[in-house]
Amino acid sequence: MLKPFRLLRPGTVAEAGEELERHDDAAAIYAGGAELLLLMRQGLLQPEYLIDIKHIPELHGIRRENGGISIGAAVTHWDLERDGEIRKHYPLLAEAESHVGNIRVRNQGTLGGNLCFADPHADPATPLLVLDAEVELGSTRGSRVMPLDDFLLGMYETALEPGEILARVRVEPLPPGWGVAYQRIERFFRPTLNAAVAARSGGNVVNEVRMAVGCVGPRAVRLPDLEGRIRGLTVEDAVEAIRGARELLEEVLMPVDDLLGSAAYKLDITVVALERALRTSMMGGMGD
Amino acid sequence: MTETLEPVATVQTLPVSISVNGQEWSGEVPVEEVLLDFLRLRLGLTGSKRSCNSEVCGACTVLVDGRPVSACNYLAFEAGGRAVTTVEGLAVDGRLDPIQEAFVDQVAAQCGFCTSGQLMATRALLDENPTPTYDQMAEWLSGNICRCGTYPAIARAIAQVTRATTAEHESIHEEA
Ligand SMILES: Cc1cc2nc3c(=O)[nH]c(=O)nc-3n(C[C@H](O)[C@H](O)[C@H](O)COP(=O)(O)OP(=O)(O)OC[C@H]3O[C@@H](n4cnc5c(N)ncnc54)[C@H](O)[C@@H]3O)c2cc1C
Ligand code: FES
Ligand code: FES
Repeated sequence: MLKPFRLLRPGTVAEAGEELERHDDAAAIYAGGAELLLLMRQGLLQPEYLIDIKHIPELHGIRRENGGISIGAAVTHWDLERDGEIRKHYPLLAEAESHVGNIRVRNQGTLGGNLCFADPHADPATPLLVLDAEVELGSTRGSRVMPLDDFLLGMYETALEPGEILARVRVEPLPPGWGVAYQRIERFFRPTLNAAVAARSGGNVVNEVRMAVGCVGPRAVRLPDLEGRIRGLTVEDAVEAIRGARELLEEVLMPVDDLLGSAAYKLDITVVALERALRTSMMGGMGD
Repeated sequence: MTETLEPVATVQTLPVSISVNGQEWSGEVPVEEVLLDFLRLRLGLTGSKRSCNSEVCGACTVLVDGRPVSACNYLAFEAGGRAVTTVEGLAVDGRLDPIQEAFVDQVAAQCGFCTSGQLMATRALLDENPTPTYDQMAEWLSGNICRCGTYPAIARAIAQVTRATTAEHESIHEEA
């Protein structure tokens, strides 16, 4: 049984921010509730007020915008994995979304809830880092935009300030000619580890590359240094470079032991997942 | 976030109208009531089961506007203005849904505790994709856990519904 609470249903981002300011720690933002209601049932959270943000039109819809796409924070995983535009132009995100939890979690859970909860064992953040996603945050003070990379601070920690909510996520498509691949290592419903790679091949050479890895440490991490090391190499040399980058990976991923695997195991598997994802993206990418 | 020592005294209720298996229910529900309690305790529809209570096992799977939800972790008021289908609503005029018939034919249940959830998830699958491959079935139903291990029989039942012949079904299995 859930402890009683009061439900608030703001109609705008500013109103939601106002409720958050008014009730402070006594209130929690409620989107799909896939995560929040579980925490409440376990007694880990006992908000007096749930601020239901699903009635805020600004948080809905997948819109084309300045050559990119803008996704409302309240859009569900279910809708994202099926969206024609996303499947066509952002297959890396569509693929990752189609692996979240199970069909019921995807139907109920939202992208915003996923990013704001900031569980290290999550799917969407990893591909979104490769796609250079930006997030738009809103409050009574207006809105601000920042790279997702700056939004994700650590385990269950984001750059959201008191009174602020995540409104939208913006992504630009990759230039034509890039291949993408998503690797998800799983034993249970959440990913043990994931890797997302986008690459533009010139014959056998890695002309351009972007890589990110999730679930290993406190947050998903983009790997600019490793990208720099393998740009311009042949696939085989790039794979060797990845295998030789254990120290670098350990430094930037900050692996931790957890229920899904030891730090050493996750580091080993990171190398495998990156190698596989690079090879697939160099061959034109997923979908084969 | 600080823990609240005193729970809110007032229980807030919301007026809702929910169509459950084609029948309209109207009344007040406490905002904290989950759909599974609404169905089992309020309406006496006990076909949907509670097992993990945490969106993992799928024993509580029901459809809201045709889409699968974990009734254990879904607030009842959210179903307001929507159509809920439970296992009790699958049969029409006393005739079993073809999925139910196939589950019987293929003995796709042992203890049966997971079965209503398996049936509802399968209904949602076939409504979206009437001819799933074995991989698609496995992926879709991966969130419906069967401790008795009836998965192969469930796959056979689904193949039966999609009117796959035995030969076609063999090939479905080989794809895996
Ligand atoms: C069984 C199970 C399996 C799962 N498996 C996976 C998986 O494999 N991969 C994966 O990535 N995730 C997984 N998840 C997590 C799931 O994706 C997220 O729980 C879901 O997306 C959360 O979204 P929600 O809308 O339900 O969030 P809620 O539960 O409503 O909210 C989650 C948190 O975020 C806050 N919040 C929500 N929206 C906003 C917003 N717009 N602005 C500010 N704060 C906000 C809430 O206050 C709360 O603290 C799983 C969850 C479950 C229960
Ligand atoms: S009881 Fe709801 S998913 Fe297990
Ligand atoms: S038949 Fe017993 S749990 Fe599935």
